[in-house]
Amino acid sequence: MRDPGVVTGVAGPAPAADRPRGLAGDAWRDLRRSRTFWIAAVLVALFLVMAAFPALFTPADPRACTLDRQYDGPSGTAFFGYDFQGCDTYARTVYGARNSITVGILATLIAGVIGLVVGLAAGYLGGWADAVLSRVVDVVLGIPFLLGAIVLARRLSQNASDDGVLAVVLTLGLLGWTTAARVVRSSVISAKNQDYVAAARMLGAGPARLMMRHILPNSVAPFIVVLTVLLGANIATEATLSFLGIGLQGDAISWGIAINESGRFVRSAAAPLVWPSVFLALTVLAVIMLGDAIRDAFDPKLR
Amino acid sequence: MLGKRPWKMAAGAAAIALLAAGCTGGGSDDSEDSADSVVIGIVEPQHLVPSNTTETAGSQVLASLYYPLVTFDAKKQPVETAAESITSDDNKVWTVKLKPGFTFHNGEPVTADNYIDAWNYGAYAPNGQGGSYFYSRIDGFVDLQAKDPDGEEGPQKAPAPKAKTLTGLKKVDDTTFTVTLSAPFAGWKAVMGYNSFYPLPKAAFSAPGVLAEGFEDAPVGNGPFKMKGKWEHDSEIKVERYADFKGTAPKVNGITWKIYQDQQAQYADLVAGNVDVQTQIPLESLASASGDLGDRLQRSPNSSFQFVGFPTFLKEFQNRDVRRAISMAIDREEMTKQIFLDSETPATSFVSPVVTGYRPNSCGEFCVHDPAKAKQLYTKAGGPSEIRITYNTDGPHKAWVDAMCNQLKAALGVNCIGVGEPKFSDMLTKVKAREPVGLIRLAWVMDYPLMESYLGPLYSTTGSSNYYGYSSTAFDNLLAQGSAARTPQEAIKKWQQAEDILADDMPVIPLRFGQNVYGFSDRVANVSVDLFRKVDIYKIELVAGK
Repeated sequence: MRDPGVVTGVAGPAPAADRPRGLAGDAWRDLRRSRTFWIAAVLVALFLVMAAFPALFTPADPRACTLDRQYDGPSGTAFFGYDFQGCDTYARTVYGARNSITVGILATLIAGVIGLVVGLAAGYLGGWADAVLSRVVDVVLGIPFLLGAIVLARRLSQNASDDGVLAVVLTLGLLGWTTAARVVRSSVISAKNQDYVAAARMLGAGPARLMMRHILPNSVAPFIVVLTVLLGANIATEATLSFLGIGLQGDAISWGIAINESGRFVRSAAAPLVWPSVFLALTVLAVIMLGDAIRDAFDPKLR
Repeated sequence: MLGKRPWKMAAGAAAIALLAAGCTGGGSDDSEDSADSVVIGIVEPQHLVPSNTTETAGSQVLASLYYPLVTFDAKKQPVETAAESITSDDNKVWTVKLKPGFTFHNGEPVTADNYIDAWNYGAYAPNGQGGSYFYSRIDGFVDLQAKDPDGEEGPQKAPAPKAKTLTGLKKVDDTTFTVTLSAPFAGWKAVMGYNSFYPLPKAAFSAPGVLAEGFEDAPVGNGPFKMKGKWEHDSEIKVERYADFKGTAPKVNGITWKIYQDQQAQYADLVAGNVDVQTQIPLESLASASGDLGDRLQRSPNSSFQFVGFPTFLKEFQNRDVRRAISMAIDREEMTKQIFLDSETPATSFVSPVVTGYRPNSCGEFCVHDPAKAKQLYTKAGGPSEIRITYNTDGPHKAWVDAMCNQLKAALGVNCIGVGEPKFSDMLTKVKAREPVGLIRLAWVMDYPLMESYLGPLYSTTGSSNYYGYSSTAFDNLLAQGSAARTPQEAIKKWQQAEDILADDMPVIPLRFGQNVYGFSDRVANVSVDLFRKVDIYKIELVAGK
């Protein structure tokens, strides 16, 4: 990592002077100099690695619990001590990252795809298609989120005999796409009325080319920002659902479940509650900071 | 940079909200309208018809609305209350003489007919009363039953039973009736202390043998308290003192039975003074309860028996060696010590120490923790590689189910999952639908202080709480022989033999015997919780000046 304060030397940007930088190039140049971006990126990368390869962080089995170590203090590899059931708190926190982050990413992808398609269609087509799609967005937006999630999650997890990841992902995805759709719709509408779009159309560009080449790239910045915010929110919401007992099921390990279970025993031992909460808060914060930095870079007007 | 801060704040707030949600007390409404009544926490009763009530919460509420024929003294011997006398020369024909002058809450006098009608209603199979099992000893009971030709699940309906009334019940005069049993039973007087033997007023029936609609929402009884308003489901049941009650007078003017789904919330309300009595302090709060409550935290023995059952329709548990191995893999001592902080004791018998005839370790070697032997037996018997334990999350079960799962995982090398169902009835629904629930979490509180109360309802083929479907002819026979015995000693001998069959078969795994670990607010005194886990509503009183 370069010192963000130092502007890159002559060797860097010189060849770029020949070619005008695109939007992404511009953004990257800004991002590289943003302290927030680097802090957030390192944290996000750390948690992603933790989710993918938890064994790198701890040799302990998070499911090996015995009552004779109940509430034992930190020792060896169990940096955070043991919880009520005699499980290694550190190992469970590390392994909890996978479910929490998987749910966050998958749910955000589903919401993003639905939101992008609906928003593009509504914004570009306009007219009755816009009217219908916008009303659908209004209806979904009108469902109180937690209430809808409780009904949907319970309904979906009834048939599933798995740990409930799919049910939670679908619940969050199906309820969470509306903001993305609205943002995409409004930026598509403002982009399609720009002069360069009119120019392209007069030069004979078809709808597909117009959309992919001119409208989408110029409306993608707010979309990306909404997604990062949504990603953070989804991770937190998975924890909420699991906390309420309707999220992940059975012996799944996640931060939400850990917070739920240890919250009851907080007066006997605080560590099993505090650490998953800290990890959860850090992840959500990092993702949202990352989103902020990206938005700033893509959309300098907002600065 | 404007406009981005709220998002960060929201994220931080969400994380804090998660922490804070762990200690929500539940903003209870003010129950100040009756300052001289006490608030006692319960769970939502399943039913409030005496003959259909087989769980503690409903039984507890009914105990305030009805006056039983007999109650139990300190030695667990039955003594007459609503009855003047209950006598028999041969243990077969019992004469019940009622105390005169008692009335129902609607003013109707209590007569022998009220008992006979109520019991006939409860015993008549098409009424589907959960407590009908209790009448099965009365002569003529079989004629009120009807065998479904293709089983309960089949499409055909059961034919109407031969008779609508029990031939064993005979009215002598307005305050006397006789109960003839199909076989002599020395313990019959004790059995009649159960709530299935409460009387019902004429007003309870819209036509002979047809319960009036809505009776259950405001039962009319013969007890010290009458309903104040209706049963507000999932919220509360209020009762107030019945002025014309002629029996032992209670010391408070009313009771609010406050219904909780979450025991933690109830405990928070207890500490905050919104509820006066909690009959079982939740596990999670045990460590801090003595600090919170001081000498208002008390213990008393109770008859509860915690166990897990193996539904017989599950193929993987049909080999009894599998069941034995699972039992041997459980370290009961560790569980009661670490999880229950010694508020419960390890169970190595099928009947509780509170009844005569209890023998320690009647379960033998299969209830002794021996992981090595358990693993060997389990592997040899071909036990499943995954074990599920289904429990209801409205009770404090998750912690010990998880601990038991960890013990099974460690000892047997299997995967084990605890599956929570919101309510006990949800779990039973799944069992009835023959879903792969795995082991099911169950508990039992005796109905009358006899060994038989731990055997008949739970393991006899027709037992009312035999949810797992255990059936053994040898067991049924021994149970019947014991019940028919002339003397209590003889009966106990037979019942112990029946218990030995259970120890051999292991249809369930005994886990723990319970204690009442109860707490109360500083508004009340003389709080005692009996062997049946019920608060003694006649003894509890309010502290003056509070």
